[in-house]
Amino acid sequence: MTNPVLIEAKNVEKRYPNGVLGLKTASLAVKAGEVVVIVGPSGSGKSTLLRTFNGLEAITAGEIVVDGHGLHERGADLRALRQRVGMVFQQFNLFPHLTVLENLTLAPRKVLKLSESEAVERALALLKKVGLSDKAERYPSQLSGGQQQRVAIARALAMQPAVILFDEPTSALDPEMVGEVLEVMRQLATEGMTMCVVTHEMGFARAVANRVIFMDAGEILCEDPPAAFFDAPKHERLRSFLRQVL
Amino acid sequence: MSNTTTRWLWHALAVALLAALGTGLYIASKRIDYTWRWERIPQYLISTEGEDLKAPFDGFIVVSEDGKQLSMTAMRGSETHDFTGFSRILSNNGDLVFEGDVVAKTDQVGPGPLLVGLWLTLKISALSLVFALLLGLVFGLGRVSKNPAARDLAAFYVEVIRGTPLLVQIFIVYFFIGTVLQLSAFAAGVVALAVFTGAYVAEIVRAGIEAVPKRQTEAAQSVGLSGAQTMMYVILPQATRRILPPLAGQSINLIKDSSLVSVMALTDLTKAGREVVSSTFSPFEVWFTVALMYLLLTGVLSVAVRRLEKRYASQD
Repeated sequence: MTNPVLIEAKNVEKRYPNGVLGLKTASLAVKAGEVVVIVGPSGSGKSTLLRTFNGLEAITAGEIVVDGHGLHERGADLRALRQRVGMVFQQFNLFPHLTVLENLTLAPRKVLKLSESEAVERALALLKKVGLSDKAERYPSQLSGGQQQRVAIARALAMQPAVILFDEPTSALDPEMVGEVLEVMRQLATEGMTMCVVTHEMGFARAVANRVIFMDAGEILCEDPPAAFFDAPKHERLRSFLRQVL
Repeated sequence: MSNTTTRWLWHALAVALLAALGTGLYIASKRIDYTWRWERIPQYLISTEGEDLKAPFDGFIVVSEDGKQLSMTAMRGSETHDFTGFSRILSNNGDLVFEGDVVAKTDQVGPGPLLVGLWLTLKISALSLVFALLLGLVFGLGRVSKNPAARDLAAFYVEVIRGTPLLVQIFIVYFFIGTVLQLSAFAAGVVALAVFTGAYVAEIVRAGIEAVPKRQTEAAQSVGLSGAQTMMYVILPQATRRILPPLAGQSINLIKDSSLVSVMALTDLTKAGREVVSSTFSPFEVWFTVALMYLLLTGVLSVAVRRLEKRYASQD
């Protein structure tokens, strides 16, 4: 691929104040238009790695460059970076005191300085895209988990980011709601959105990912296109992991 | 027996116990040879005393036949003066009066000393509350600030104020700061109460902010909001709902604490009560009345806040 690299992480290390190593020498590059899925057992550091990409998690060594912004640099302009990197959380994290529409228009208005009408127009288009046009005036607590997560995706999209990070977007959902969220993500992938996804949904990884990454104990152990990753796993630890989850 | 019936029986028991307590107090008061004079209290709530009309110079009173006109002529010279607006004439036709003597009274119904005191209590509490909220917000934000200097200053303020008695603070403000800055007693009272209550409000604000899940901050930051915007549009609106109930309690405390400003030359409800006691010698009736008036004030406030809470809760 000749697409530019959007996320470049080199030898990233995260050591917690208590000395525990959360990430050790993790390196990863994500190109524009790519869908990269990160899998691994819980506690393997996959969410931590993802959260370093928008500076929610500070790193202790190595370097991260996202869309031209050096995150490891002193005084890195995190705000400018976060406007370009969307994030979808496991717990949705919608703003409970705002309506769905206000959730979507808050940042575009306050950060991008869009006018009210521009922001609303953009928000309504996105709600239509995630199939929730009729919920604009509802509060998050009036929606199901799946609907809330679709709103959260729309909220991230409203900033028109270069890449969206998904941190276990379906893990907090009832099983019957997982499909609707994955469907929206799949649609985004087909439209060429750059995505970095931490998930336990192996079916989604196999069908949508360009590359799948396996992490264990804070390390990236292997990285392959889905066919090779699932059908001919190279690493012993990955083989035993796949035996357990598939 | 149904559940509701049982509940009403328990309520009835509570009422009966309170009634028994009241009767006990009544019987006890009978034994100490105290004459209750409740009839004296109303005049200190509503005053019908009216204003004095005084003679402007030495002279003789002239009252018309029908008693509807009152005037006087000077002792020396031909000066005359007509009195208007009087309702009671305290002198007779032909009386010799001297300058400054009260010759009649107007018939004005006005607030008595207790109501005047209540008004001052209300005014000083309301004004102090406004400043206390401002101080509390500023120092509460200081407590959770990323800046160590802001955190230190806020912690210092809260610890110093919460660690010293309000009465001592009032003396310091009145005698020291009030003298240095030439504050009136009222201003000194507002300063003392606002600074005192502000420290508690700061802790309430801090607790409210910290109770908002950290995930909300992360979500706000991940869409690019700045720290100030996150606080303003995401954290504070959610914290407000949690802050409201303890804030109501603190406001009620403020009203009650305001009784301590009576040690300065301020005639608030408590000081008015003390003055009325010294002129009636009916301490029991007066203090019960004063307590009831405070209760009325705090009761209205807590009902108002409960309404507000309900409105906030309906957003969930």
